[in-house]
Amino acid sequence: MPAYTDIRDALFEELFELALNDRFIMLLSGDQGAFSIKKFQDSIPDQYINVGVAEQNMISVAAGLAMTGHKVVVYGIIPFATIRCLEQIKIDLCSQNLPVTIAGVGAGYAYATDGPTHHAVHDMALMRVMPGMQVWNPSDHTMIASIVPQLVNDPGPKYIRLDKGAFPDLYADSGDDFSEGLTVLRKGKDLMIVATGIMVHRALEVAESLSAAGIDTGVTDLYRVKPFDEDVLRKAVAGSNRVATLEENSIVGGIGTVVGEVMAEAGMGIPLRRLGIADVFRWELGGRDPLQARDGLDASTLIDNLTNWTNDGAHVN
Amino acid sequence: MVSTSELKDKAAWVRRRTFEMVISAGSGHLGGSFSSTDILVALYYGGVLEHDPSNPGWDRRGRLIASKGHSSLGLYPILADRGYFPLADLETFNDAGSTLGGHPDTRTPGIETVTGSLGHGLGIGAGLALGAKRNGQSSRTYVLIGDGESQEGAIWESAMFAAQHKLSGLTVIVDNNGVSATDHTANTINVEPVVDKWTAAGWDSRPVDGHSFDELLKAFEGEGTSDRPKAVIANTVKGKGVSFMEDTAAFHHGLPSGDQIELARAELS
Repeated sequence: MPAYTDIRDALFEELFELALNDRFIMLLSGDQGAFSIKKFQDSIPDQYINVGVAEQNMISVAAGLAMTGHKVVVYGIIPFATIRCLEQIKIDLCSQNLPVTIAGVGAGYAYATDGPTHHAVHDMALMRVMPGMQVWNPSDHTMIASIVPQLVNDPGPKYIRLDKGAFPDLYADSGDDFSEGLTVLRKGKDLMIVATGIMVHRALEVAESLSAAGIDTGVTDLYRVKPFDEDVLRKAVAGSNRVATLEENSIVGGIGTVVGEVMAEAGMGIPLRRLGIADVFRWELGGRDPLQARDGLDASTLIDNLTNWTNDGAHVN
Repeated sequence: MVSTSELKDKAAWVRRRTFEMVISAGSGHLGGSFSSTDILVALYYGGVLEHDPSNPGWDRRGRLIASKGHSSLGLYPILADRGYFPLADLETFNDAGSTLGGHPDTRTPGIETVTGSLGHGLGIGAGLALGAKRNGQSSRTYVLIGDGESQEGAIWESAMFAAQHKLSGLTVIVDNNGVSATDHTANTINVEPVVDKWTAAGWDSRPVDGHSFDELLKAFEGEGTSDRPKAVIANTVKGKGVSFMEDTAAFHHGLPSGDQIELARAELS
């Protein structure tokens, strides 16, 4: 597998290789580019359509193509490829269980200074309530590249939440097939941080620091939010005295909600702290780091809060 | 070739069956079903739609997307009569265990897609037409929409997309009855001039009397211009066939009651 310099390329390069040998694979873009999309335009233009600034139609056209035997990937900035066309996703794709993958770019605050119109903080909750929808929030290139064949070839609709830029590879040479939906990256007796997307990297940094300070902290990467194997999650957190969820996503309806539901119904009795984006619009500028800090998602605030919490102290944010 | 008088007889039968289904179930959209009845009869009995009821999944079939899903009421008797499912099933409309509900879904043989949420069908139809073209199939895709439905922005996204991609295998039929759920469309968002709007969007657009089989069949004939999708603007009357139900929003989802029921039966017979 090549080393990708942008997490989007892991998807589109792998998709391109599959599409070269399968003319039924189609890529539709809602007027969004990515470096590797140019390969489709240059080499297999018949399998690529820029549908313009019309996301509702993009989903419906994808449904029609899927009904004639095509396997379709649609691509756009997350709020527009999900919420703008939610009704089409619900009825055209989900109610008919059609093989269409929605690849949304710009997870969380990736488009920080473009403002709340472009912040992707509600998509996980909304995609999760669509019946039959698979929801993936991958944390590295290897994972994305590995799941592309199943995204394309498996039946039913899927959503994959993409970040922008390059991130350290967590799973290179791991041989993981990502079928369980989550991976325990490190164990922790005092605290387990269940994180998703790029926040997995933050969680590892925080866990390292906390463990060095005597709070034995683990990290679980929850990369497939739906379907969700409750047994696997219960096992992942059962050996820890506390559980925190960490996501660059609204605190409403994201993995904090998922994990909380499972732990509560199982009667696990383990204290839970949900860390994510507040249920407000964030208008502040300055970039992604300040926005994350505003919501207490920077490493330093996380370390303070989780240290205080494990010592039964106050939450500073 | 089925004669015009035979088509008229068939349409009268469809309206009667539709009416009895609704009266029996106590629910249903009569107004928009009656305005589109003649359009559907022309498609299914006039030799327009290539289909095989014994093989609903035939990959070279012509497809009808009933985008104004509430008109499915008029489609059910037609599909049953053509052999997609037993006529007796019509008696189960809206019942537990039936697949024949207020809006159509793909559990019912002959129904191509789930509709009921307006504005979706044209995009799906565009995808079907594009898919058929890519698959080297000559089958046509027909999408029935309403003038009220044309107030949905998604319709115009799809209209421009289909023109951009020269989807000449796609026909939209606008059941232009001038009335939506609660009012005349002219009083809410006026969609006129409909013919000009579709022409401006890049379609081969023409008006017809949506209750004239001669005009409907002539409009459906042939491919039209080779590089444009076709828009048949069918000027119709909401509630067509029952005088007191015509051109009013009262029977969009409202039901006749008391003496009106026998009066309607008499006019439909």
